[in-house]
Amino acid sequence: MQPVPPEESRAQAERLRRTWENPTGWRALSIVNNSQVGVWYTMTAFAFMLAAGVLALLVRVQLAVPDNDFLSADRYNQFFTMHGSAMMFLFAVPMFEAVSILLLPSLLGARDLPFPRLSAYGYWCFLIGGVFVLGSVLFDAAPRAGWFMYPPLSVEDEGVGSDIWLLGLSFIEVASIAAAVELIVGVLKCRPPGMRVNLMPLYAWYVLVVGGMILFAFPPLIAGDLLFELQRAFDWPFFDPERGGDPLLWQHLFWIFGHPEVYIIFLPSIALTAMIVPTFARRPIVGYSWIVLSAVGTGFLSFGLWVHHMFTTGLPSMSLGFFSAASEAVVIPTGIQLFAFVATLLAGRVKMGLPMLWIAGSLAIFTAGGLTGVMVAVAPFDWQAHDTYFVVAHLHYTLFGGFVFPVIAGAYYFYPLISGRMLSERLGRWAFWLIFTGFNVSFLPMHLTGLLGMPRRVFTYPSGLGWDTLNLVSTVAAFVIAAGFAVLAWDLIRPKGRERPARRNPWNAGTLEFTPDPDEDWGARSVPYIDTRYPVWQQDRLVERIEAGRFYLADAPEMKRETLVTSVIDARPLQVLRVAGPAWITIFTAVATGAAFILPTFEWYRPALAATVVAIAGVLVWLWRTATVRPEAEMKDAGLGMRLPLYVSGPGAVGWWGMWITMLGDATAFASLVFGVFFYWTARPDFPPPGADFADAALSVAAGVLLAASWALTVGARATNRRHRSGIAMLCLLAAAVLACLGGAALVGAVHLPDLDPTTHVYPATMWVLVIWTSLHILAGVLMQLFCLAGLLTGRFTPRYDAPLWNIALFWHFLGLKVLVTVATVAGLPRLL
Amino acid sequence: MTDQPPSPEHEFAEEQASLWRITLGPLIWALHFIACYAAAAVICAKLDASPPAIEAMRWSIGAGTLAALAGIGWAGRRSWTQWRDGNDDVFDDDDGSNEDRTQFLGHAALLLSIISFLGVIYTALPAFFETSCL
Repeated sequence: MQPVPPEESRAQAERLRRTWENPTGWRALSIVNNSQVGVWYTMTAFAFMLAAGVLALLVRVQLAVPDNDFLSADRYNQFFTMHGSAMMFLFAVPMFEAVSILLLPSLLGARDLPFPRLSAYGYWCFLIGGVFVLGSVLFDAAPRAGWFMYPPLSVEDEGVGSDIWLLGLSFIEVASIAAAVELIVGVLKCRPPGMRVNLMPLYAWYVLVVGGMILFAFPPLIAGDLLFELQRAFDWPFFDPERGGDPLLWQHLFWIFGHPEVYIIFLPSIALTAMIVPTFARRPIVGYSWIVLSAVGTGFLSFGLWVHHMFTTGLPSMSLGFFSAASEAVVIPTGIQLFAFVATLLAGRVKMGLPMLWIAGSLAIFTAGGLTGVMVAVAPFDWQAHDTYFVVAHLHYTLFGGFVFPVIAGAYYFYPLISGRMLSERLGRWAFWLIFTGFNVSFLPMHLTGLLGMPRRVFTYPSGLGWDTLNLVSTVAAFVIAAGFAVLAWDLIRPKGRERPARRNPWNAGTLEFTPDPDEDWGARSVPYIDTRYPVWQQDRLVERIEAGRFYLADAPEMKRETLVTSVIDARPLQVLRVAGPAWITIFTAVATGAAFILPTFEWYRPALAATVVAIAGVLVWLWRTATVRPEAEMKDAGLGMRLPLYVSGPGAVGWWGMWITMLGDATAFASLVFGVFFYWTARPDFPPPGADFADAALSVAAGVLLAASWALTVGARATNRRHRSGIAMLCLLAAAVLACLGGAALVGAVHLPDLDPTTHVYPATMWVLVIWTSLHILAGVLMQLFCLAGLLTGRFTPRYDAPLWNIALFWHFLGLKVLVTVATVAGLPRLL
Repeated sequence: MTDQPPSPEHEFAEEQASLWRITLGPLIWALHFIACYAAAAVICAKLDASPPAIEAMRWSIGAGTLAALAGIGWAGRRSWTQWRDGNDDVFDDDDGSNEDRTQFLGHAALLLSIISFLGVIYTALPAFFETSCL
């Protein structure tokens, strides 16, 4: 590696600075850079948490004394519902995504993640949806059926509360999935050269696992939301037992989401712990592959636990046994991680510091929560404790220990990375002891309150049942927690302009996250070559050489934002990726998407449809602008004599991976709807009801054949275009779009029968919902075919520049399978049952 | 392995194979779990939960469990070889060589096989102890 002459280095830095410079003033809203969007995301999630915390305080005030009338029953219901919903959907999950979007580029020595505009879009969706859902509290219109919205209560509930919950949170779930796609592709494809899978920072491993879990956990809830809203808006009887429905299906779909979600919250916090512990133990982590095992193992096992929230619903005891066993088994990988941390601390030379103090608090609290978790995983114990304050205590112990404390530790640890200043040691200690003491004094007695029989979610209680003192203690201590959060919030926002700037890498961490200069927007000055797990400790003068621009992409001669794309397992450099810069189209599309979700809450269906069309148009414009950009050269010198292509299509491209991962989540939602069909069949004697009509066989088969042909033609278009037969490729796409439209019409026609009215019984309703789901995907598939046709017609897509054709072919692979399953389930299965 | 970069197709195939090896154990656990859950749902909720049907289900779960354990055992053994092959000196797999990457993936897959093995045994226990659906 040759040293770079100083004047050349300064010129390079100036070009990089101008290329990565973010707009200022009101134009700053168009920023899409992940590290900046990550800061907004984190602050927004923190603000939502404070708001949800205020609701909790009001709930506690109401419960302080017996027969209290501080809040009416209805207000109380709105507040506790919104407290839980906001903490889960507006704080816990988004906070993980926010922190990861913020940290991942620095941690991987990357300039940015591959789809910055997608992150920005996700952020704006989150902000709009969050303000809408949380704002409903101020208009006395908030949801009030509890954060898991069990029917029939939530379905029968009048007013818009339940609709706000369903549509507002579905909107935010879409944003969560968008962030998950960005994070997974970022970890797989944007690692620095040389950082093989065995050298990845543990945080990146956790991001991968949690991103995968989001893909499989959120879609069942989206499917459930769809069924739910169809019942509320159009009276389709999914949860109405009188017409063949069953409220338990909601519980299944909700908890297939809800239990993995607990681990979606918990694992990222463990990931923060896995970054902080080695730094303070001043040695590499003990048992790296053991921790990877526990992350992946917990990720899998967490999907086998959902029924432990349903132990009292009267399911067969054999079924309960399976879930009880899996709930106990998940303790093993969870415990391994904690032991690995303790071992690292024992083997290292520990220096204490504020982040470590919070981690220590978290380990203590989480272990207590884990132990009560083992208790409630035993079905007979759960029958006693179910829906009492014991469960409230248990879940708060796991969430404070497993989420809140590690996140605050992370805030203290990473604050200098964002602002270049340190948080106050003295205020931090005050905040810790206030929150730690307040938490234990507030929630430890709740175990007892619960065992004494106090049910959760009652707005008041009579005196003389032994609950009075315990409740008063919990309420007083809740204010101690609040005081701690006030100190923390003040420490975060107080002006620090006159303080000394923090040292770079103030804690002396071994991984890359502290290497970027907080005063610059470019991320890494040059993208390093990594061949150790703790490069800052183990690679000689690494930071100095990164800063001197002696690694890859140290310059931006074309004034284009760039980062490196590497291979999945071995991080072998594959491409110099041009990354998108500031844009307004993301905000525009997010606002339109928001309108499409929010307007139906008030039954304004026509404006909602218009908003949907605008949102789709926004997405198409956005994609057209990025997909039609062609690099000015075939190859580019990435530094150190390495020449890489600027354009890649197919399985090597980040876009292809993004599509693959999105479709995996989409397929999960579809599988949840199919699960619904099997669920009704097993749980109900009248599915399908005797004498019910079947979907038209001829039309169903015709739909299958037409859509399979469209699928084949789409794949054919890609192949012929590669062979420079663009004319044939265009004909293929045109024919494919026509066949797809005909196939979609045949599919709808197959169930459009007088005897299959979806409001009469759950059987036609499930058939219809599968057809609608697939038809909407066919519509998307046709739009994609036409998009590529337009690209070929205008000469923007060529045999060389054909990435969109690869991506839509991949979409059609998934769609083809969906069509086959839909036809088999709608036309074939009921005839067999 | 040589220093020649592999072709994209070869690399993609290798990526798929690694993913497959690492997740095989947990996938078998998941299939076994779903099969047990579905069997109990059909026999106990849909059908009449007659004693002979329950007996048949318990024996089937037993057989399925043995098959799952054998599958995981096979996957674990393969990972053991991948981890231990040529790993006669140290257990560290934290440098940037091909060898360490291969050994790490083997070790992680082995550990996941062990946890999946235990998970399958846990899942099967209720069918072993419980003689009715009630």
